[in-house]
Amino acid sequence: MKQYVTINMETSTLQSQSYLTFRLNDEIFAAGVDKVLEILEIPKITNVPRSPEYMRGVINLRGNVLPVIDTRKKFGLQPVPDSVNTCIIVMNLVIDGQPISIGAIVDAVQEVMEINPDTVQPAPSVGSKYKAEFIEGMIRFNDQFIMMLNLDMVFSNEDMVILNQLSESKN
Amino acid sequence: MDKLQSIFRTEAEELLLDLERALLNFETDLSNLSAIQEIFRVMHTLKGSASMFGFESLSAFTHDLETIYDAIRSGTMAASPEILEVTLESLDHIKELIGDPQVADQGNASRHTELLAKIHALLTADPKPITNYGPSKTAMVSTYYVFCKPARSIFSNGTNPLYLIDDLAQLGQTWVLPTLNEVPPIQSIESNLCYTAFEIILATAESMDNIREVFLFVEDSCEIVIKRLSEQDLFSNAEFSQRLKQVDVYSAGFAPIGFDSFLSFTPTEKKDSQKSKESPGNKDRKETSTIRVSSDKLDELMNLVSELVTSQARLSLLTEQHGLADLTGVAETMEKLTRRLRDNAFNICLVPIESLVVRFQRLVRDLSKELGKEIDFVAEGTETELDRSIIEKVTDPILHILRNAIDHGIEAGSARVANGKNKKGTIRFKAYHSGTNVFIQISDDGKGIDAGTIRKKAIEKGLITADAELSEKEILNLIFAPGFSTAERISDVSGRGVGMDIVKRNIESIHGEVSVESEVGSGTVMTIKLPLTLSILDGMLVQIGQAKYLLPLSSIQTCYEIESACVSADVAQKHAFNGELLPVFNLHAAFHCAHQRNKITQVIKVNYDQFPVGIVVDGIIGEYQAVMKPLGDLYKDHDEFSGATILGDGSVALVLDTSTLIRQLIKNETVRNN
Repeated sequence: MKQYVTINMETSTLQSQSYLTFRLNDEIFAAGVDKVLEILEIPKITNVPRSPEYMRGVINLRGNVLPVIDTRKKFGLQPVPDSVNTCIIVMNLVIDGQPISIGAIVDAVQEVMEINPDTVQPAPSVGSKYKAEFIEGMIRFNDQFIMMLNLDMVFSNEDMVILNQLSESKN
Repeated sequence: MDKLQSIFRTEAEELLLDLERALLNFETDLSNLSAIQEIFRVMHTLKGSASMFGFESLSAFTHDLETIYDAIRSGTMAASPEILEVTLESLDHIKELIGDPQVADQGNASRHTELLAKIHALLTADPKPITNYGPSKTAMVSTYYVFCKPARSIFSNGTNPLYLIDDLAQLGQTWVLPTLNEVPPIQSIESNLCYTAFEIILATAESMDNIREVFLFVEDSCEIVIKRLSEQDLFSNAEFSQRLKQVDVYSAGFAPIGFDSFLSFTPTEKKDSQKSKESPGNKDRKETSTIRVSSDKLDELMNLVSELVTSQARLSLLTEQHGLADLTGVAETMEKLTRRLRDNAFNICLVPIESLVVRFQRLVRDLSKELGKEIDFVAEGTETELDRSIIEKVTDPILHILRNAIDHGIEAGSARVANGKNKKGTIRFKAYHSGTNVFIQISDDGKGIDAGTIRKKAIEKGLITADAELSEKEILNLIFAPGFSTAERISDVSGRGVGMDIVKRNIESIHGEVSVESEVGSGTVMTIKLPLTLSILDGMLVQIGQAKYLLPLSSIQTCYEIESACVSADVAQKHAFNGELLPVFNLHAAFHCAHQRNKITQVIKVNYDQFPVGIVVDGIIGEYQAVMKPLGDLYKDHDEFSGATILGDGSVALVLDTSTLIRQLIKNETVRNN
């Protein structure tokens, strides 16, 4: 009986996992669905004055206050006006050991896809556009690479620059 | 099992608090019988539930401790300060044991054996029986008349009435008289029927209910009469005992003598004059019926009520827009109900400050002993209620203030006598309501704070310039400035690097204020002003740029209107109102709003540390009662916003903490100007 249970658990970890993919500019990113709570349309956002630019403000999520982060600005991409596709992904993250809910504004949500861990390639340490510690891995899908993000890392650092090129161009 | 243990832990914490209170009471009056009873009762309960929940070592330990108080209670042992000292030490140890039931910790284990040895030493010490509990003990004993007439068929369900009598005899001193008048002639007796009834005179300290409990299982099959004959122990009355001996059962044909006849035996003089001396207040407190609810459930309730209040605001808004008469009526009723529900729910979360006072009392006691000072601790207004979360957060600041008062405030006994003061110092703790605030005052009659010394220190530390003109009050309040400590040397007691600035910051974090008044030679008064609750804020809704903000109403003094043209785009500026020049901060500029301004601009005069400050907002919307929501960890560096609230239209408005905001703006200005 005990053996059966262990085998079952092993197979489930070996099996493919679900990821939510979303788009920023032309790039596609994936976030583990276990972190994602829900997807919202853009409501009225209250700006918090004098906060970092990438913190768009706070929204009312059914009576609770949810901070919303502009992922484009966080990633150092050019800002674009919100479109009909723009939406907020509400995520449960663990930052500094504390559970925290945040909303991340993305250009568009694509789909939920199963990713087989075997097909995941490690993030290239050199020549990549993104810093390696924020990328868990990448997979090839329809001739495009999908970046699998380490969400806890991405949103924990206040002034992190996720883009390699940005810091390099300064040097 | 874990769940059961956590139940025990909460129960034990409560019991220990009771115990500590009773012990401290007992210390003030070593002949206080009700305190001993209380101590014994609590220990007994603690012992019982400890062994029930598997805290064996705790149970055994408490048992030994209890033995001492049993001996004191029964008068075979004299209460002494040493016993109390050991008990208080043991109490602290028990607190440790609750967290470490197996006594696994090395320190705990050695302490355990050490304390057990002390307890046994006390128990085996030369017993000095004392008698002064004797009379007061019998004063609590009452005499009852009990008549018990079992039903004929009582044997058939296996009850032996004699056992009932035995049980009664356990309760106290008894005198039993069988009533045999219904026993038939011997030839017609049926051996399985009961013909005998009993009359019992019982002298006991137990209550009427406890006596009735003896008959709990036979209530239906017996005729039971229980009446109080006297509120004293009649057996100790010679006349009554004499009369009992003379009872002539034969003449009455073994018929029951009856309550009234016994009553006529009783001496009539001073029947119950002694009894009612026990403090009735104490009893009342115990008898309030309460239930234990986990704080999680309360938090959930509060959350729901908060959401209800928010939806209610929305409903009111919609009703106003649609103007339907029927709907308005319903909405108004709903609003009233919601308000009452909200007030009720908030009330539930209020806890009397009393629960803290025991800790303070203990601190004063221990610390004054350690420092060799004699200090009385007087607590007033301990029934004042405060929100649970506020109580939690205000404890440490108060402990710190008390430590300061004991260490630096109250002088040594000899110095006090030399100054013509009572050798014993007094620390007074006073809590009271005033409007929507609770005030806590901690005053000592010590040496006070010398404004001159403070000024010198402040200049030394660069907090103020040497030529700064400050009022005495302003100087005294410098002790709350960061990096200021008046202690000349760092002692073990206060000055552990936690200064008064932490006290101030902690109190401000719960929207409270703290101030100090002092007179050299006669003492210091610290006053803490606290809001009743943290989750509801009476505020004023204002417009700045496109967004709405909420200002706490408590900080607002006056509102002025000026023409927008007069206000410059600078953050800091000065304007004259009613002939008074007011420093004014333009929030429109500070928050980088691009929005076009109205023709008229509002300036709100708010309280800041020592002087009022004006803040410029674009418009005033009105008063608003807000349910506070935390902004979350991501905004923890933005403490100029104490939270957020959800408005009737579902949007979020930020709540401004004016003091912090102004402090930051002043800091920014000074940085910019340099």
